[in-house]
Amino acid sequence: MHDTQWPIFEVFHQASRGEPHVHVGSIHAPDGATALMLAKEQFGRRQACVNMWVVPVEAIIATDYADADLFAHGTDKSYREAFGYETTKRAKLVGDAEEI
Amino acid sequence: MTSTATSEAMSTATKAAVIDLLYRLADDSLIIGHRNSEWTGLGPILEEDIAFSSMAQDKMGHALALYGLLHQLGEEPPDRLAFARGPRDYRCCDLVAMEFLSGAATDGPLCNNPVRDELVSRGDWAGSLVRQFLFSEADAVRMAALETSAYEPMAQLARKLRGELKYHTLHGRLLIERLGKATEDSRSRLNGVIERVWPQALGMFEPTKHGQTLASAGICPTEEALCDRWLGEVEPIIERSGLSRPKHAKPAYGGRAGNHPPELALLLDDMQRVYRLDPTAQW
Repeated sequence: MHDTQWPIFEVFHQASRGEPHVHVGSIHAPDGATALMLAKEQFGRRQACVNMWVVPVEAIIATDYADADLFAHGTDKSYREAFGYETTKRAKLVGDAEEI
Repeated sequence: MTSTATSEAMSTATKAAVIDLLYRLADDSLIIGHRNSEWTGLGPILEEDIAFSSMAQDKMGHALALYGLLHQLGEEPPDRLAFARGPRDYRCCDLVAMEFLSGAATDGPLCNNPVRDELVSRGDWAGSLVRQFLFSEADAVRMAALETSAYEPMAQLARKLRGELKYHTLHGRLLIERLGKATEDSRSRLNGVIERVWPQALGMFEPTKHGQTLASAGICPTEEALCDRWLGEVEPIIERSGLSRPKHAKPAYGGRAGNHPPELALLLDDMQRVYRLDPTAQW
């Protein structure tokens, strides 16, 4: 069936400055400015937000779910993970101290 | 505007003027909030339905805060001010009570209503949208002025509402401009409503006997001055949207003195019905 709705925009929401923008959903809108205006009430009205992005859905280039095996870890590659470094240990100590 | 008027320091005349101002602002907020909420579930598209309903809730919140200021000045608590007063006691302007969704205030649930489409077809979304646009521009102009009011509780509240009102004007401007330029149908609908509601829009700035007291005490500019600022905001938007407004409309006055068209009494009947079943009930 032909989709007669407005184009879809994906909505990203930032809870505070410096935090990553997180995908929160999508909306229909005729253009970007209207998408932002409408997204503010759909997704910004109940949670803290300092910044919002809308992205036309066709601007997103995605993998296919059929290719999910691209991301599989077939063998033990723990040697590739970054541990054992002094900085990693220090970062962990700082992190632990902050948690306390 | 340097003095800080508190309820203790105000003269009797100033206090009466502040109370009148707060009633006008609060009643406008409550009534337009109620009117706009009637569209909930019936809006033209889902996203706009949510945005419009959310702004209606904002206005309910503004009304509650303003009734709270009235209560601090010795008036009745907010619930009684909203639900126990009749139309003669309301100080809202005629614009906010105008009905664009006829049948919304009748019996029967609207949600999941099988005759939803029929209800929507009887409604005039353009009317509610234009009203909201014209009102929010006036609201923003007035609240911007009140941010420096000598009545400090009002100034604090005005500063708190700035962000929400910024959104209300953003919403109105964006849709008016796009629909004004969209099709002949959308343009003529908007123009028709602007023509029809312009007298009531001017009526938002109905002068009151307290106007001079408020202006000279630095509490609120005169209605005339606010109307000029409002025209300075809305005229360029109307123009660049390819729309026009009547040049010689006679303002619809009366609401600020409690003389309302019958629409307000019908709205209050509907809005106050549950409260009036048992005014002593605890919620």
